[in-house]
Amino acid sequence: MGNAVVDVLLAVAVVAELLCCIGVAVMRTTYDRLHYTAAGTTVGPFCVLAAVLVREGFGQVGLDTIAAVAILFLAGPLIVHATARAARAMRA
Amino acid sequence: MNAFEVAALALLTGFVPLLWVCLREREIDGVAALELAGSLATLVLVCLAEAYHRGIYVGVAVVCAAVTWISALVFARFFSRL
Repeated sequence: MGNAVVDVLLAVAVVAELLCCIGVAVMRTTYDRLHYTAAGTTVGPFCVLAAVLVREGFGQVGLDTIAAVAILFLAGPLIVHATARAARAMRA
Repeated sequence: MNAFEVAALALLTGFVPLLWVCLREREIDGVAALELAGSLATLVLVCLAEAYHRGIYVGVAVVCAAVTWISALVFARFFSRL
């Protein structure tokens, strides 16, 4: 049961991340690309985190993974906002 | 191969469209692709550490996430001053 849950979570994470990568490549404007960049720091990382926690629990590996995903999740909006401001400044 | 190895390999293919954006599109679009590449690299490192049961290497993923954040802010600052 646990292995099936891990497999499903990893599959969702991989599909979400690959969709974000394709979205960045396909979109036309910088702001549309940033939309997919931001999405890449939410769904995929949390699914990988859930898979690791199902497998390992809240040990050292689980806590380190929580730290990595927390940095991605909290820093994602900041860097997207900063990049959007830079894009606007370049256009002006 | 276990599930985490397969996931890491599948995630690695995501670098291809991002590399294409970095090479072919404008510089600021490359920065957007680079930010997503950093997130992707962090997830690949987590998956590889879990796949090979080397828990200590998850620390590398934590550092990768932090460096991604810093580098994106530096690039954004640089391009906003151009």
